[in-house]
Amino acid sequence: MNGYDPASLARAAAALPGSSLDYEVGSWRELRPVHDHRPAPCHIHCPAGEDAQAYIQKVQEGDLEGAWATIAAFNPLPAVTGRICPHPCEEGCNRGRFDEPLNIHAIERFLGDMANARGWRLEMPPLAEEAPEVAIVGAGPAGLAAAWHLRRAGVKPVLFDRYPLAGGLLRTAIPLYRLPRQVLDGELERLFDAGITFRGQMKLGRDLFLNELEQEYAAVVLAVGLQKPRPWSVDGAAPGDLRYGLALLEEWIDVGAAPLEGKIVVVHGGGNTAVDVARMAIRAGAREVHLVTTRALPGAADAIGPEDHMQAFPREVQQAIEEGVVVHPHTTPARLIIRGARLKAVELAAIRAFKDERGRTKRVTFEGTERVIEADVVIPATGEIVDHEGIEMLPRWRDYLASDRFGRIEGRPGLFTAGDASGRGGSVSAAVGDGRRAAMAVLLHLHRIAALPEEDAEAVSVEALQLYYFDHAPRQEPPLRPVAERIRDEKEIEPGLDAAALEREVQRCFSCGNCLACDNCWNLCPDFAVLKTEEPTEDGSCYVFDYDFCKGCGLCAAECPTAFIRMVDEPTPAFGGAG
Amino acid sequence: MSKTTVLDLRELRRRQPRFTGMDPGHRACQGCGQSLAAHIVTEAAGPDVIVANATGCLEVFSTPWPQTAWRVPWIHSLFENAAALAAGIETALKQQGRPTKMLAFAGDGGTFDIGFQTLSGMIERGHNVLYVCFDNEAYMNTGVQRSSSTPHAAATTTSPAGRMRPGKRHLKKDLLAIIAAHHLPYAATATVAYPGDIKAKVRRAMAIEGPTFLMIHAPCPLGWVHAPELTIKVARAGVETGLTPIVELERGKLVSVLPIREKRPVTDYLRLQGRFRHLLGDDPVAVQEREHLQALADHNIETYGLLAREGDVRDSVTAALVRRGGAIR
Repeated sequence: MNGYDPASLARAAAALPGSSLDYEVGSWRELRPVHDHRPAPCHIHCPAGEDAQAYIQKVQEGDLEGAWATIAAFNPLPAVTGRICPHPCEEGCNRGRFDEPLNIHAIERFLGDMANARGWRLEMPPLAEEAPEVAIVGAGPAGLAAAWHLRRAGVKPVLFDRYPLAGGLLRTAIPLYRLPRQVLDGELERLFDAGITFRGQMKLGRDLFLNELEQEYAAVVLAVGLQKPRPWSVDGAAPGDLRYGLALLEEWIDVGAAPLEGKIVVVHGGGNTAVDVARMAIRAGAREVHLVTTRALPGAADAIGPEDHMQAFPREVQQAIEEGVVVHPHTTPARLIIRGARLKAVELAAIRAFKDERGRTKRVTFEGTERVIEADVVIPATGEIVDHEGIEMLPRWRDYLASDRFGRIEGRPGLFTAGDASGRGGSVSAAVGDGRRAAMAVLLHLHRIAALPEEDAEAVSVEALQLYYFDHAPRQEPPLRPVAERIRDEKEIEPGLDAAALEREVQRCFSCGNCLACDNCWNLCPDFAVLKTEEPTEDGSCYVFDYDFCKGCGLCAAECPTAFIRMVDEPTPAFGGAG
Repeated sequence: MSKTTVLDLRELRRRQPRFTGMDPGHRACQGCGQSLAAHIVTEAAGPDVIVANATGCLEVFSTPWPQTAWRVPWIHSLFENAAALAAGIETALKQQGRPTKMLAFAGDGGTFDIGFQTLSGMIERGHNVLYVCFDNEAYMNTGVQRSSSTPHAAATTTSPAGRMRPGKRHLKKDLLAIIAAHHLPYAATATVAYPGDIKAKVRRAMAIEGPTFLMIHAPCPLGWVHAPELTIKVARAGVETGLTPIVELERGKLVSVLPIREKRPVTDYLRLQGRFRHLLGDDPVAVQEREHLQALADHNIETYGLLAREGDVRDSVTAALVRRGGAIR
């Protein structure tokens, strides 16, 4: 170079060494790759709003506390939901279309348990002197979630409940074999440590009055749940000693006994309470347990539609059947055979649902299908309704409190409702999500946020993934305790994952719609226009596109296993020359 | 893009946690399989090499005057003598007592046809050279003329598909068998669909004192007539149909293959590429030629034993797996 006289040499020989880096082939590009984080289906399917992909990624990275914090930012009860939620996340999981869905609930449970064992806490803003106080009536999952999110926003929540202890139906109605109470207590301890006040034995209409609450507090959230059994009889007849399922369940959980030993028990109902009552009867020593429901078994093909399926979690129904509960689907109690005040037998008949010409479901009992089964006890569990005492004046939707999806009650600014009482419940996770949305509406009402969160975007479909970068791997699932053992005690029947199984399970996650940090884009770019960063970038990946050199071939997007890279139109097409 | 960001990216590029023998800014087409293959080979070979590069696409797109994409010493040979040039430099280096490994790069035209004689001579004389053939199955640089590597029935500008003949009349030359007949220490095939496999084979060849040969199947979106983002999918379909056997030979003897987990019909490969479009119809010629290509794939599978067996740890699926933190090796 130096020492040559370019002028004395032929043109080509005079070329000074120059790198092709001086020539920005990015000007050729018509499409450009961008990182496009879209929600994974597990996220979209979670009624509580948890992003399983995000927390599983943290576990993959070895950050268990960060993983838990990712859940806790949406749901303060992961150790609870990890056990008793029917996990619609797993129904959504794209891996289910490949081999088996991820065992997401077991991962959530592992993290929730570890948080309780290690005393993990989420960082909270300090509560200012003048922080507004919000009354929340009902300390079940919806009320607890609302309190948690208000507290995280620097608002002071005060929880009221008619029971002396918080937890709502998690404490009173969920059987111990599904939810050990020390798990619930662990979660509650963290909430109360965070500065959430709880005041028990305060019942609406008796100790608490809506107008006083509205005067004393900046806002009021009614998360009162469903406490009253739907009145039940068969053609006006009922045994004199009739006990409703929910009350029996509460008593059994509280006292540890139910008067069913040696009895033939008929449970009427097709929801979770009915299933829990039937399983309680097995454990209480009943001779036979019949579950009679007008609906089809969960997922059964002979249903006219999803509304004709039992409204109980499929795995719970499955476990009940394993434990000896005889389920009679599409059956109704047609007559109670009572001698004196005592039940002797129940007449059952076949019943089916039909759509009438206006699309409404009607149920028809078929004459001539009657049969009589001997029975000592019939337990109705056909649903619970809102106890309207103290809130009689509020607008209703069916038997529920009428409100929009953020729990706002029309004509009552500052008053909100959440959870089962709103009719948007059905599972603990749904209640948690509803509580969070109500908290957002409260924060908007208090001018602490500018807008409510937007509707969820569309999830990444399995078709968008490049599945050949993944291999089949079995779902890690420890077996349930054997039936003979589990019906004899109150101990939890589903074991958790151990650390090794957790590690194997999280490796199965596709990371749908998010960066897997797999290096594919970095490895497969024919122009080395993808650069790896030392620290994660703002979009959560560890790669950046060097648009000076990216020709827009789209290979990175086509080979991104998780559909995190998308090709978009080049903003300002610039053809014909170096950039 | 702001100037600062540009500077940051240049700095970031300098600090990338891997070596690469090529910089971007080269003029390869979008989605170029050969460019990708050359990146991967030079990454695995490392900086202590000299490259002799035959005339061809790689030479042309990497060195537009007055620039070069090369970050290793590189010399352009004629079309026919990359192997001879590499052999000469290797001999000179040996005389000087310098152990630098020589790489010879050429396309299929420069290997199967024009440079075949010098390649044979280089191997026969036992030079310490890794000869890499980037096989894109035609003379792409000069305008997609058929080579002796072009597969049977593929359309090129000199073997067009038409009324008289459905693409190339002749078969793809079995070059690997000819190379194997030299009884050289190591010869292998690879494909851009499995970058990890390419790297492992380059490292294996680099560790051998003596002539080694690696042929990398490298789709050409322009010549094969497929969308540029399909390069990997086309290459992978080649493997999984049996049309692109991925094998290793030592002293001419087959020592390992990349087994196919699930064999796919050749139409999975053909339908991705415009050069085979004339074979997709229902006319008797198309049907017959499809069957012929299927028979050729089946023949490969039988000859090399390409179907995965129960208990194979490594196969056409596992060789490409990824997870958080990178590829699974």
